[in-house]
Amino acid sequence: MTRHLLKLVWNRKRSNALMILEICVSFLVVFVVATLGLFFLDNYRLPLGFEWKNAWNVHVGLGRSEAGANPSGDFAAQQAVYARLLQEVRAMAPVEAVAGSWVVPFDQGGMSSTYDVNGRKVDMDADVVTVGFDKATGLDLVAGRWFEEADASQAWAPVVIDQDLARTVYGAADPVGKNLFDPRPGERPFRVVGVVRDFRKGGELMPNGNFIFRFASLDHPDGGPLRNLLIRVRPGTPAAFEEALVKRMQQVAPDWSFEVRPLPQVRATSFLFFLTPLIVAGTVAFFLLLMVGLGLIGVLWQNLLQRTREIGLRRAAGASRAAVHRQVLLEQIVLTSLGVLIGTLLVIQVPILHLIGVLSNRVLTAGLLAAMAAMYLLSVLCALYPSALASRVQPAEALRYE
Amino acid sequence: MIHLQQVSKLYRTDRVETTALDNINLEIGKGEFISVMGPSGCGKSTLLNLMGLLDEPSAGSVALDGQAIDRFGDRALSRVRNERIGFIFQQFHLVPDLSVVDNVEIPLLYRRMSNRERRKAALAAIDRVALSSRTHHFPTQLSGGQQQRVAIARAIVGRPGLLLADEPTGNLDSQMGDEIMGILEDLNQKEGTTIVMVTHDPRMADKTHRVVRLFDGRQVQ
Amino acid sequence: MIKNYLKIALKVLSRRKFFTFISLFGIGVTLMVLLVATALLDYVFAARTPEVHADRMLGVYRLTMQGPDDTETTQPGYAFLDRWVRPMTKLPSVERIAFVTEAQTAISYLNGRKIESAMRRADGEFWRVLDFDFLEGGPYTAADDEAGRFVAVINETTRERFFGGQPAVGKTIEADGQRFKVVGVVRDVPVLRYASSADLWVPVTTAKTSAYKEEWLGGFYALILARNHADLPQIKAEFQSRLREAEKHLPDPKTFKRLYAGADTLFEGAARLFLPGGRLEENPGARLRAALLALMLGFMLLPTINLVNINLSRILDRASEIGVRRAFGASSRTLVGQFLIENVVLTLIGAAIGLGLALGVLRAFNVSGLIPHTQFQLNFRIFFYGLAIAVFFGLFSGVYPAWRMSKLHPVQALRGRSA
Repeated sequence: MTRHLLKLVWNRKRSNALMILEICVSFLVVFVVATLGLFFLDNYRLPLGFEWKNAWNVHVGLGRSEAGANPSGDFAAQQAVYARLLQEVRAMAPVEAVAGSWVVPFDQGGMSSTYDVNGRKVDMDADVVTVGFDKATGLDLVAGRWFEEADASQAWAPVVIDQDLARTVYGAADPVGKNLFDPRPGERPFRVVGVVRDFRKGGELMPNGNFIFRFASLDHPDGGPLRNLLIRVRPGTPAAFEEALVKRMQQVAPDWSFEVRPLPQVRATSFLFFLTPLIVAGTVAFFLLLMVGLGLIGVLWQNLLQRTREIGLRRAAGASRAAVHRQVLLEQIVLTSLGVLIGTLLVIQVPILHLIGVLSNRVLTAGLLAAMAAMYLLSVLCALYPSALASRVQPAEALRYE
Repeated sequence: MIHLQQVSKLYRTDRVETTALDNINLEIGKGEFISVMGPSGCGKSTLLNLMGLLDEPSAGSVALDGQAIDRFGDRALSRVRNERIGFIFQQFHLVPDLSVVDNVEIPLLYRRMSNRERRKAALAAIDRVALSSRTHHFPTQLSGGQQQRVAIARAIVGRPGLLLADEPTGNLDSQMGDEIMGILEDLNQKEGTTIVMVTHDPRMADKTHRVVRLFDGRQVQ
Repeated sequence: MIKNYLKIALKVLSRRKFFTFISLFGIGVTLMVLLVATALLDYVFAARTPEVHADRMLGVYRLTMQGPDDTETTQPGYAFLDRWVRPMTKLPSVERIAFVTEAQTAISYLNGRKIESAMRRADGEFWRVLDFDFLEGGPYTAADDEAGRFVAVINETTRERFFGGQPAVGKTIEADGQRFKVVGVVRDVPVLRYASSADLWVPVTTAKTSAYKEEWLGGFYALILARNHADLPQIKAEFQSRLREAEKHLPDPKTFKRLYAGADTLFEGAARLFLPGGRLEENPGARLRAALLALMLGFMLLPTINLVNINLSRILDRASEIGVRRAFGASSRTLVGQFLIENVVLTLIGAAIGLGLALGVLRAFNVSGLIPHTQFQLNFRIFFYGLAIAVFFGLFSGVYPAWRMSKLHPVQALRGRSA
């Protein structure tokens, strides 16, 4: 039976071409949306590497831009104020830990670079942080130790890398104590002092990547103060504490500005930023599928109306109503398979052409399967009514006229 | 083989009632070759449909091989149609998108057989109607007579005991008509197939064993 | 004559209700999406209070410095703009130039409540390049800015938050640790107007330190108001040549060698911001336009195929009817013409449905307040675009089926065969 139907559908491919095309394009639309959704879902399952529930970020506006293109101010004086700021904040009762950081977790901005490590180009995201950052964000050290102020006077610059980066560069070997690479000729080489669990600065929706922490010493700074403070507050600290915090900070540095954002809020904003396009695309895709489904029902119905004689003939030859019903559904499945096949062939080009480097093959495959399932489901649903109608064709009526 | 007892068929559309068949009593023995004749609209095709289980009588009973098929459900009816009856139509009703052999195979699809067995049976049937040179052609590439021969092959591929032919030569010229008639006679004589044929052509009717005449739904002589 | 065709068309469409329904659904939904998207784009980029002169306004919104190892992109700084853009005021085609910062969050604590406001620092010219809708009082002046007075213009929402909606002019407001006297209240500006929207505007000189005066990068926009729309290309070219000159005077020539920027319209500015690599192009607007067009066509692909499919089915459904008409002498042209009119009628009804749906969606958007201070509207221009697309869509999806119909052999059609 299947072979027969395959031949039937194949011989009719010209008149079915439009339907196959429609199924193919719908498949692609669903594939894109499904893959994006699965991508986020896949990332969401992985551990984050840090704690955000009781963390607050304070953006420090130094009254000047932090871009390197500006003439240098009085770094020493600013750093002194910064160090006092950290001290005063730490002293406040609800504060458990505080540290300075260049980058804000969950935020889209950040530092990323590609370095030449042992002849290979390695991409990594970076942050520059002070002592105490590990406590402020609840980092999980798996080897070595965190930064210490004493590190500032060494001949090398200490870095803490995450497990991803350790695996990429050193494989299974222990990276602690090794010199990672020379960032720039003439500057101190980076030496690994510790390894943390995979750190995903971008948040749960972003994929895993290599991460490196660089050290900003408060005692021996070689640049301006870091523009963010990361504060860990005691669980249950009320939002009202924010006002007291800002007042205290303003006292220490009257001409700096402070913007407090609890990390849960930053996280919510970043989720909104990423998920909104997905939701919009998903809604549009849903309406498109609905439209396609209705069209399919109409076209199928019309097709079967034209094939009344053939159906009557088959009934006369001994096909039961159920057999006719089954045949229509099977034909539709074969048609859908053709459309899905063409779509899949197109999609397979994507990894081959490295069009999207960030989506793993696993996610792409899952997206393909989801799109396939969706198209088969849609097709079968749309074929149910027309096929029921077809099975009710009276053979005598069907074969009578012409 | 077929026994129709007091069979009537009424068609009801809105408020108009048409009597297609009125109190038909007919018995057809195994191996007979019967023609049914009568003017247009007299119910010939309806009679054939009832015999072929394509339709149900409004009154009376139809029995096949001694078995009353009144209360047969759709599945059972389909089985009987598949295994014991073969149909030949005036308009051939071939599926235009399938080749000759695929068309002939159709009845066998509704039986449990392996693909190889089906192929074998189909080719045998095509051979029986002397169309082996056109096995993979499509209906549009065949003449009227050849198309009807394909239809016959399709009707006999399942080796049914009963063949029902509705004006099989109606769309053909006299030469092709004679060819078809020849095949039917052959089937009846060599294989003992019971054949009931509706026809307009008295020449064809003369070649059969018996003629049943209908007029306005009633049997006349 | 046309009325006859119309009557027939409506009758035919009502005969096959299901086909009509799915056609209308497809057209309606497609148009709804397109209209909503167009309304969004129009809302962000078209001339609207306060940027009433957007068609003759250019802005420098982004500056990129590029070196062998590093690339920095951010808003231009005051020093750069003051030295290289402000002198353009002397050009005859330039009416005036304003400086304004990007919106920053300013936090206020009022009776234990935390209020987050978007704050911009703007010079006096800002109020003359743009045309705000003042509900109370008026703007501060260039003189206020020079004297370093702590005055502020606030929007309706801020007035509501801080003063409970009472008249606010003359009262004091505290934000980000500074106190300002309110001199004017304006109607809310939609957040999507990235050049001007804020909750409060204060003079540039009220910045906490004067460090901004020396910065090449960081926080400022320049808004250039031309005298005529036709002057824009010339002003852009002038800006580019100044940029080349500025490249020779970079503050950190070891790290950075090249400068990239543009005097952009609102649309081009957004392109520079959002398109990957846009910051390095001289005219990123063209690429964004192409991308949007491709997106729109891509979106319409599926509905078009669907509609062609449905139309084809509609025709084949009536094959025998067509055969009869042909047998009785109707020419191909008449039949095709009738079919196309049916198609256009269908499309227009679908367009009306799409319009209704779009209005509904936009109203829901406005009511939900998802994007603050936003009140979407469908103006005539948007509706006209939508209608044009719909008609094109309808005609286009009818061409192939109409061609098939004209090919129907009358005899075959009478037999019910469609090929």
